Amino acid sequence: MTTDPVLLAHGLGGSSDLPVPYAYAMVGAAWALTFTFALVAFAWRRPRFDPDAPGHPLPTVLTTLVDARVTRWTVAAVALAFAVWVVLAGLWGPQTQANGLLGAFYVLLWVGLVALSLAFGPVWRLISPVRTVYLLLRRAVPERLGRPRLSYPESWGYRPAAVGLFAFVWLELASPNSASLPWVKSWLLVYVVVLLGGAWLCGQRWLARVDPFGVYSMAVSRLSPFRRSPTTRRIVIGNPFDHLPSLPVRPGVVAMLAVLLGSTAFDSYSSSPTWRNFADRLSRLAHGVPAALSSSILRTIGLLVFASVVALTFSLAARATGGVDRAQRRALPGQMAHSLIPIVVGYIFAHYLSYLVERGQQAVIALADPFGRGLNLLGLGHMHVAYVLSTHPPVLAGIKVACVVTGHITAVIAAHDKALRLLPAGHQLTGQLTMMLVMVGYTFTGLYLLFGG
Amino acid sequence: MTLRATLATASAAALICGLVACGGSPSKPPAAGVDVNVTIANGQVTPTNATLQARVHQQITLHVTSDATDELHVHSVPDHKFQVAAAPNQTFQFSVDVPGNVEVELHHLDRTIATIQVQP
Repeated sequence: MTTDPVLLAHGLGGSSDLPVPYAYAMVGAAWALTFTFALVAFAWRRPRFDPDAPGHPLPTVLTTLVDARVTRWTVAAVALAFAVWVVLAGLWGPQTQANGLLGAFYVLLWVGLVALSLAFGPVWRLISPVRTVYLLLRRAVPERLGRPRLSYPESWGYRPAAVGLFAFVWLELASPNSASLPWVKSWLLVYVVVLLGGAWLCGQRWLARVDPFGVYSMAVSRLSPFRRSPTTRRIVIGNPFDHLPSLPVRPGVVAMLAVLLGSTAFDSYSSSPTWRNFADRLSRLAHGVPAALSSSILRTIGLLVFASVVALTFSLAARATGGVDRAQRRALPGQMAHSLIPIVVGYIFAHYLSYLVERGQQAVIALADPFGRGLNLLGLGHMHVAYVLSTHPPVLAGIKVACVVTGHITAVIAAHDKALRLLPAGHQLTGQLTMMLVMVGYTFTGLYLLFGG
Repeated sequence: MTLRATLATASAAALICGLVACGGSPSKPPAAGVDVNVTIANGQVTPTNATLQARVHQQITLHVTSDATDELHVHSVPDHKFQVAAAPNQTFQFSVDVPGNVEVELHHLDRTIATIQVQP
């Protein structure tokens, strides 16, 4: 193993998924298109989904158990111990790409968090190591020192989180070397300092608004069937379509989702021969600049363009309706933002599922021997990665297309229902048409990129 | 089960079946090994960003003629690294165990020579 930097996709070696066969992409696209227009033409004309719907309450004992101090502190402590373990591996483990920190950071955290939040709700609030450290520090220092001094500026909304998410995808997809441990460790240091410093000034609200992973987890959890009853705070199980519109509408919410969708699309696009040939041609033109730097600058621009295109098309589509005044029109993109979540989640799963399943195993195996000294925790060190998805490309391709199409269908249903609630009578059908077209555009682009660009 | 739930299940099933049925097998690469001729001269490499087809466990051979030392990285499972010398007609052989898109990169020049689509 050499220690010189190696340019790797996602900071991890190995192969990537085979492209989805043409026929799969076509069938997926046909379903998405048919469903969308069937929905606009024939579906319900009165809003059916209600964020205040009560849901089916689960036994009280579950809520009591989940809310018990001992449960919360135990889970938080386990998560904190795991995070410390990963950081120690990064600091004193082998300084190569085999280091467990990279897999934990790029796979377990970035993709695993989506799966956890989708299944159980906004788990990051519970397991966030920085939050646990903050809570412990507040207990340790005198009340006078720990009290928040300022209130979080609400006009900032989720914008800092959108910037944080962009910083993450920049490191992964556009930095000069995503597999470099010093870069990842510096990123994490800045993350911890910004969160703890802000929380010291503004209290827990800073963590809820600024932590990119917290906001990411919160947004994805809106698709989860589990939620808190809005009135009793008990844990209920209900229709995710009732849960989706409960996404808080704050400044930056569209930008945050656009970064997630745009970066995933850019990740696909940047490995296509089209982009690579383009990038090679440009770097040949820029003679004096080192190749790593010019490619990083180009990728940064690419990422920004992809995220901006998503944000811009979505905002314009949400605004394109008649019968509303200026203030209402300006509020529309935020109020429709929740309908972007299923597209984001569907595409993230389509794109990163094999990463989560296969590189996730690799990361766990690497963490069983964090310092490269033959330590074999839980007997995991001698396990081999089971390539359950990669060895069955047709199954993987089917799952990927199904994820994208399911995400699309969920999104158009959510957008249709919200349009009925928001738009004035007489404009409900025409007012949602642009949004439907834009969503079809996202899905076609997503399928095209999975097909190989 | 309500009618709506039945319809939803049926359409989901039809979607999955439709996808798997239409899968078909992609065009078969030749049974013999795959050969790639790579030339590195004056800081330029040919080919770049090529797309090739191969199968799992098939012998893939890189014939390299270079005027500079470099390092070839094959991002596959298992991965391979080859030292390229400034010499003509060097041969590097490898095979891939797990299907996927395998990138063959020239490390110092920072160029992707080819992406090999390794089918099962």
